[in-house]
Amino acid sequence: MPCERKPMRYGHSEGHTDVCFDDEGKCIVTCGSDGDVRIWESLDDDDPKSINVGEKVYSVALKNGKLVTAVSNNTVQIHTFPEGDPDGILTRFTTNANHVTFNSSGSRVAAGSSDFIVKIVDVVDSSQQKTLRGHDAPVLSVALDPSDEFLASSSCDGSVTVWSIESQTQVAQWKILQKSSDVSNAKSLCRLAWQPRSGKLLAVPVDLTIQLYDKKTWTHISTLSDDLITQVVNVVVWSPCGKFLAAGTVGGNLLIWDVEAKLCIERQKHEKGFTVCGMAWHPSGGRIAYTDTEGCLGLLEGVSSSSPSSSSTVQSTKATVAKEKKDYDDLFDEDDDRMLDEGMSDSRSPVKKPVMEEDDDDDDLMPATGRPRNRGSFLDDDDNSQDAASVKLDGVPEEDGSSAILPAVGPAVSRPVYEGPMPTQPQRAFQPGSTPMHLMHRFMVWNSVGIVRGYNDDQDNAIDVEFHDTAIHHAMHLTNTLGHTMADLSQEAVLLACEGTDELASKIQCLHFSCWDTHKDWIVDLPKGEDVRALCLGQGWAAVATSALMVRLFSIGGVQKEIFSLPGAVVCMAGHGEQLLIVYHRGTGFDGDQALGVQLLQLGIKRRQVMHGEPLPLSRKSYLAWMGFTAEGTPCCIDSEGVVRMLNRTMGNTWSPVCNTRDSCKSKSDHYWVVGVHENPQQLRCIPCKGSRFPPTLPRPAVAVLPFNLPYCQTTTEKGQMEEQYWRSMLFHNHYGFLSSSGYEIDSEGQSQAEKEQQELLMKMFALSCKLEREFRCVELAEMMTHSVVTLAIRYASRSRRMALAQRLSELALEKANQFQEEELEEEEPAYQRGSRQMSSRQAQVENGCEEEEEEDEDYPQEEEMDAEESTETRKPSLNPFKKGGKSPERPSPKPMSREGRVNPFKVSSAGKSSSSPAGQPRTTNVLDSMTMSSRKAAPLGGTSKQGKAPVLKPLAPKPKSKTQATLLQMSASKGNSKKLEDSQREAEKVKAAPAATPPASVENVENRKPKTGFQLWLEENRKSILADNPDFEEMDVIKEGMGRFRTLSAEERLNWTERAKGDSDPKKRKREDEGQINEQMESDEGSAKKKKPLDTSAKLSAFAFNKE
Amino acid sequence: MDPAEVEFLAEKEMVKIIPNFSLDKIYLIGGDLGPFNPGLPVEVPVWLALNLKQRQKCRIVPPEWMDTDKLEDIREQERKLDTFTPIPSLYYMELTKLLLNHAADNIPKADEIRTLVKDIWDTRVAKLRLSADSFISQQEAHAQLDNLTLMEINTTRSFLLDSLNYMYKLRSNLQPGRSQDY
Repeated sequence: MPCERKPMRYGHSEGHTDVCFDDEGKCIVTCGSDGDVRIWESLDDDDPKSINVGEKVYSVALKNGKLVTAVSNNTVQIHTFPEGDPDGILTRFTTNANHVTFNSSGSRVAAGSSDFIVKIVDVVDSSQQKTLRGHDAPVLSVALDPSDEFLASSSCDGSVTVWSIESQTQVAQWKILQKSSDVSNAKSLCRLAWQPRSGKLLAVPVDLTIQLYDKKTWTHISTLSDDLITQVVNVVVWSPCGKFLAAGTVGGNLLIWDVEAKLCIERQKHEKGFTVCGMAWHPSGGRIAYTDTEGCLGLLEGVSSSSPSSSSTVQSTKATVAKEKKDYDDLFDEDDDRMLDEGMSDSRSPVKKPVMEEDDDDDDLMPATGRPRNRGSFLDDDDNSQDAASVKLDGVPEEDGSSAILPAVGPAVSRPVYEGPMPTQPQRAFQPGSTPMHLMHRFMVWNSVGIVRGYNDDQDNAIDVEFHDTAIHHAMHLTNTLGHTMADLSQEAVLLACEGTDELASKIQCLHFSCWDTHKDWIVDLPKGEDVRALCLGQGWAAVATSALMVRLFSIGGVQKEIFSLPGAVVCMAGHGEQLLIVYHRGTGFDGDQALGVQLLQLGIKRRQVMHGEPLPLSRKSYLAWMGFTAEGTPCCIDSEGVVRMLNRTMGNTWSPVCNTRDSCKSKSDHYWVVGVHENPQQLRCIPCKGSRFPPTLPRPAVAVLPFNLPYCQTTTEKGQMEEQYWRSMLFHNHYGFLSSSGYEIDSEGQSQAEKEQQELLMKMFALSCKLEREFRCVELAEMMTHSVVTLAIRYASRSRRMALAQRLSELALEKANQFQEEELEEEEPAYQRGSRQMSSRQAQVENGCEEEEEEDEDYPQEEEMDAEESTETRKPSLNPFKKGGKSPERPSPKPMSREGRVNPFKVSSAGKSSSSPAGQPRTTNVLDSMTMSSRKAAPLGGTSKQGKAPVLKPLAPKPKSKTQATLLQMSASKGNSKKLEDSQREAEKVKAAPAATPPASVENVENRKPKTGFQLWLEENRKSILADNPDFEEMDVIKEGMGRFRTLSAEERLNWTERAKGDSDPKKRKREDEGQINEQMESDEGSAKKKKPLDTSAKLSAFAFNKE
Repeated sequence: MDPAEVEFLAEKEMVKIIPNFSLDKIYLIGGDLGPFNPGLPVEVPVWLALNLKQRQKCRIVPPEWMDTDKLEDIREQERKLDTFTPIPSLYYMELTKLLLNHAADNIPKADEIRTLVKDIWDTRVAKLRLSADSFISQQEAHAQLDNLTLMEINTTRSFLLDSLNYMYKLRSNLQPGRSQDY
């Protein structure tokens, strides 16, 4: 009968530990490298009594109310038990003792020390000492035989020695162990054990086996081994009855043999595979306590009830062989048994050989495979096992009814030959933000809307619903007659569900408190045999995942809607607005990992699946702890290791780690229980839990806010910090794109603020790289900037005398300008065409995925916008299905033009023109030169914003080169006026000319012009009439007369003229605004927010540039 | 100075509340408060906290020192020492009174806390009286008393000053040459 392996729990800090039971077996006593001895009432004892006995405790022994410990201050101390008061020092060594043990009566203590000496001390009179010298290396372990005649000791010198206590001489010695220089290097602790009562046999762990020596003859009489043992045996202990022998190995295996039958009757594996370094058998024999080198304590229950005859469940090949032999043996006399045993081992050898070879192979491999794995687990959080324990504990109480979906680990263990990756128990379904179900008082859900608490104690079975914002609804108190165990809460409703029982079907209850009629709630019964596993609420809908691997959708009013199947058992669900997020088991995980898949569905008018069951990334050996949406609607998940991951929609729905809550924990057993994630402001709202994973309901826990911190490299350096900030900002403002694309209103101010912040960071990074003379890096950074900021960067570079860099940047600026130009061109087109153009550009973008990525790096706002476009395109196919189809023939033609990256569709034709144009490439450099000198002058003019904007706002210049050159020229120009005029002229041309055919404006012409006042304009028009009236007027007179007449005009007229004059000098702006408005209208018609953005962006960025200077 | 005035000053102390409403930052002369997010702790002055509490718009998170264990320690310390021990808040008495009167339901073990604070207060005031007594009886010109809170000073000031004045008058009326004992 297999025994029950209780979940491990955290007992000491990592390092060597030891364990023993008290005489009655009431308490488990453990010691560890933290210097504490802990007394546990039971494994579930949450508050063990702790006695500090020294800096480190190596070994502990307990008998007759005396607690003997081997401590790092080279002493062996006595404490009273259970009080824990110091009761003197028993003996001292020159270095620390490694093992202490009592004799069977408890009158003597034997201790083996690293100074090669073994001492036997009388407990009452510590002057009665016997010292055994003879080992050539530190003593690993000592054991006193029940008759107090002999003492066995094992040592690092490779020998196991039996001493006669009386004469203090060696009786027998076997060189059977591997030599090592120190205890810390020893492969095995080699804990020896005499058979209790008779003391007939001495068990010695030797490598992978346990050898039994006879006390009379000091000969090796048999060997116990098992195929499951692949690593050295560390500890052996006899059962109190002396029939069974238990062993713990370095690899974490726990085995029990029936010694007489030589049958391995029990095989268990440490849940984490840590080294077992302490074992103790309960005095009644029913259980075994064991500890590992990670400081954890475990318990095997129901051990001695297993008798060899009932061990049919676990039988290795060898065991069966042995059993058969045994059957045959029965034919012979009892006396021959031993001989036969020996013979058997011979006869068995051919059979065994292949196995042994395998073992050998394993051994060779072990250092390569097994050890690192072990070491890996050392590096793991040391309360891993505790975590697992708590999970287990959570799971255990409910195990009985519903274990059907949980493939037990048991069967895997029963195949001892298999030593590969072990399947992980799939995690149970849970509601995000809930505390474990077995608690009497628990949070059924805690989310951003409110708290649902469940009480299930003797007097009351009730549910409390409380809202953070009482404006939503007042608090509610419900009696939980149906026994609901799951809940979700939204602004509109409370959704409750219970699992079915034998008589009653699983039920879903919805309290739709925002309902305007009088029936606020509805209940739905699930079909017989189908249980609710997870549920969630969205806006206007509810979703329930059931044990039949199905997801059922309901409207919030109770109308059944779609149902669909899931590929695996659900883990949890979350809803936000129209989005539904489902996490389910994609398969079986191995070695502690979970294999989860995630689906994201859009449940609006246009239903579609955004994520189709991609694997959900989790930390190693962790499980999902929380899953949900940020307040802004970005999916977010948190695993048991405290790593928060957020969906990055702009990177093809990848998950980016944004925070590790464990970094903020003071102690390893502390955790943060997450209740909400906000992107703006960047907040991770969680409840700090001391020493647990979840908070109790009382006292009412307080919410704390954690900042996000992307795990970028070298965040101690300025560069790393800024990179982290930049990408964090990028990631946390992705939701703007998503929101606008799904038709939500967005805070455009916040968005531009974010963009400004990002560009500022880029500029800072640029400056830093400049300082570090990393020019290539500078260019890389500049590629991420928007165009206007690149101009700024150029100026920075040129001012810090990096001409090569400035040159490269100006090329980059050129490219960027082209891109903008393209966009502007698109914008220029008539609305009906534009629609198709947009469509096609999106199409093209979707097709040219790699190119899109390139774009992403280069230009964030554009990229975001592209993303928005893309999403509109893909997410709203149902909006106007005919439109897309109708336009599709047009697609191929505009495609290269619109999206072939920086390849300007007009470039080819313009190349010729530009070569013919007087202002060619060489001039650009000239301009650059002059710019360096004049930049200082230009800066205070505040023209930067203008300059920055200029190329963006000149969509029609057909020759990109000359255009940029013009841009640069403007930058060098100290006269803001001329620029204005130039603009105005261009604008005028633009208004008149057909898009592509406009000849470039003559720059020289433009520069001579001056701005006009309203009066001048008026005068020009009216000069003739004045002259006609007064033909003899001189120029001065004309002006005078004109002034007089101008004054007589009505104020309105005058204003009109002034306006015209202004409009002339800066007509673009006005026109732009108009255009913008028109565009906006068109957009709203088309349901796309695309065109508004570049305008906003550039305006904001130009403002930024202005600030910067 | 009136005790009410001291209490008024104490109301400027900041305390954490958990609002159950949503409100943007509010801009006041004394500084900006908020933003208020339902369920998220935010620091506000006591006067606002009490106001909100009375309107059932928030829960008050008791200050850290308002905890039976910590107060017991302080009480022990206070009883042990002859001098005044430093107190976690300069307005401990006022805050305790205000918070316990208006938000006792948000403070665990409110009654115990009330008793403890009262004990501490009594101990301190007794010490104060004792030191005033010895100050006068020993006819000292000056004395140094550290760690007194405003409220404590206020309770003894009017009486002490008046009595000192009277004594001064009485003493100056005494005929020179007579014994100064009284």
